[in-house]
Amino acid sequence: MSLQTDKRDFSERTTDGLGDSFMRNAVGSAQDSLKTRRLSAATALGDWEQWRTAGQQIRQHTLQNLDYYLEQLAGNIEKKGGHIYFAATKEEASSYIRDVIVQKQAKKIVKSKSMVTEEIELNHVLIEAGCELIETDLGEYILQMDDWDPPSHIVAPALHKDRRQIQRVFTEKLDYTDDESPEKLARFARKVLRQKFLEAEVGITGCNFAVANLGAINLVTNEGNGDLTAAIPKTHIAVMGMERIVPTLAEMEVLDNLLCRSAVGQKLTSYITVMGPSAAGDTDGPEEFHLVVVDNGRSDILGSEFNEALQCIRCGACLNVCPVYRHIGGHAYGSIYPGPIGAVITPLLGGYDDYKELPFASSLCAACTDVCPVRIPLHEQLILHRQNIVKENRTGSMERFQMKAAGRLLSSPALFGKTLRFAHPASRLMSRHGRIVRGPELIHGWIGARDLSQPVKQQDSFRAWLDKRKGESGQ
Amino acid sequence: MTVSGNHHTSGNNKEAFLNTIASKLGRERKREVQLPDIQSLLPDSYGSLTQDDLIDILKEQCFFIHTQVIESKPEILQRTLDDLIEANGGGSVMTSGDPRFAAYGLTFPGSFVWEEAAGREQNIMRAESANTAVIFADYALAESGTIVVESRPDQGRSLHFLPAHYIAVIEKERIVLRSTQAAAALNRRVQAGEPLGSSINLISGPSNSADIEMKLVVGVHGPLSATYVLI
Repeated sequence: MSLQTDKRDFSERTTDGLGDSFMRNAVGSAQDSLKTRRLSAATALGDWEQWRTAGQQIRQHTLQNLDYYLEQLAGNIEKKGGHIYFAATKEEASSYIRDVIVQKQAKKIVKSKSMVTEEIELNHVLIEAGCELIETDLGEYILQMDDWDPPSHIVAPALHKDRRQIQRVFTEKLDYTDDESPEKLARFARKVLRQKFLEAEVGITGCNFAVANLGAINLVTNEGNGDLTAAIPKTHIAVMGMERIVPTLAEMEVLDNLLCRSAVGQKLTSYITVMGPSAAGDTDGPEEFHLVVVDNGRSDILGSEFNEALQCIRCGACLNVCPVYRHIGGHAYGSIYPGPIGAVITPLLGGYDDYKELPFASSLCAACTDVCPVRIPLHEQLILHRQNIVKENRTGSMERFQMKAAGRLLSSPALFGKTLRFAHPASRLMSRHGRIVRGPELIHGWIGARDLSQPVKQQDSFRAWLDKRKGESGQ
Repeated sequence: MTVSGNHHTSGNNKEAFLNTIASKLGRERKREVQLPDIQSLLPDSYGSLTQDDLIDILKEQCFFIHTQVIESKPEILQRTLDDLIEANGGGSVMTSGDPRFAAYGLTFPGSFVWEEAAGREQNIMRAESANTAVIFADYALAESGTIVVESRPDQGRSLHFLPAHYIAVIEKERIVLRSTQAAAALNRRVQAGEPLGSSINLISGPSNSADIEMKLVVGVHGPLSATYVLI
């Protein structure tokens, strides 16, 4: 998989999402439950707002000094006998990893969930190189078995599937014979994957945060698959986006608390591990450790007006409060990064050519900004994108014309007032039962999914009421 | 706090990569950095707590993370552990080589001990076939019900993940409020130049997943159950 998960038009993807009632129910109920759990875990920390400020400051400090901390990290990993590779592009990153695997003559690879490896299309490269590659996170494993169905949520990738669909996939692909209970399905996957861990020659993980002064990576998981991936195979390759780094364990601890509480409403997840190259005398863990640091467009964001997007710690909290994500689901974004943060970073990493619609897939209600544990002003960044897209003339000519006309109308109080007077009679032919049901292109997107009230009669309008009131009070 | 500059030679791609970052930030490469004092921003939401308070917080939290807590005493620790192993269905036991097993006079006939001499394959195979793992915690974090353990030659990384059931013995004086205290203590060791284990594990109960319809399933890739024994 790559950054792009679906090449169809945005409108086709959203139509699919809006029509998928199981997915919409699943997303709605996951949002409700995760929101409640997040609130309770956040409250337990005491002053959550202070913790958010601390998280924001740590991320901003690290980004401002990123070259320093990456150099410190590299030095400490090398001192411990590990290897670090800096990849400017996704091709460099995946071909370095392929070369390590070819050099080790490895064929069996286990992987734990990692978004950045999706971004660099690693699975595709390694399968093409003839490797057997197994995703070991339960959600990702389900998607792999279902012919690499794309993920739909950052922390719950198989959210769009129900237990019967999963049972069917396991039955068809793995000769599963039991019922559809989540316990039995998970226990079955555990048994299959346990063998894969023991046979694997190489384990590939992501990295929640690298710890610069320690020369180690930090993994935050619930299943234990990340730890088994790193502990059992003789070679461990970790992949990180270049911005995912903290100075010391003290800052890591603050961010891990923010991450666990924001992502899944837990105070800490079941497994939080700080790991690196093995030490003298260790009898498991990697005999060879590689860390691949990936730029792939991130340096173009650094220092730009979108710099704050790099503060993201991939908790998914913004997805869990987003009314747009709730209705259209993760697949509609066509990116491995869905939801509000996806709408901000996908166009930055993949360009406006393919993703210019995403910044418009937002209600700008700012719920995402309010919930972000590291205070990324997400809705403001979406507005910045919109401004850029308009400046670059990427909107359609009809839309530009309509917006220009609307701009002229809204910036002239006299013209606006006159138009309002005629709005009700003019909208009669377009309306039924007090709602607009047809009209020009500008309103199609809106009335296709929501109600748009017919403008009120002149005598019932707020302006008329205000004018009357002014008259009564003698103003 | 000032962190000293670091210069390490490596491949050319590193230099080009880091130079690009510095240039995008509109400045020369940084050789020294002043770390902001983040800790002073963080409020203390609990106030002063006694060790008994911490035990109560730990016990309450363990209820939410599906972890059994048993209170025992050094004098009856062997009996407590034997009973728990039996309750897990008996079978093979694997322990770490922690010297505290000897200090408390603990023995488990027929069990395996994680040991450097056994080598990689043997240790992993023994852990995989063990029904119960028994280890001692380095710290316990009351607020999240977490134990902290460090890998060592006598305590491998996979010992915590391969056996079906997991028992951690926690000495009460090793309980602290939360990860803040444990991270600070570990960080002090790093800054003093003292080596840490190649893997530091914070473990909060058994493995779990909510990947299928958001329904929590306990026991996925790691242990199916976890028990903390307080002494």
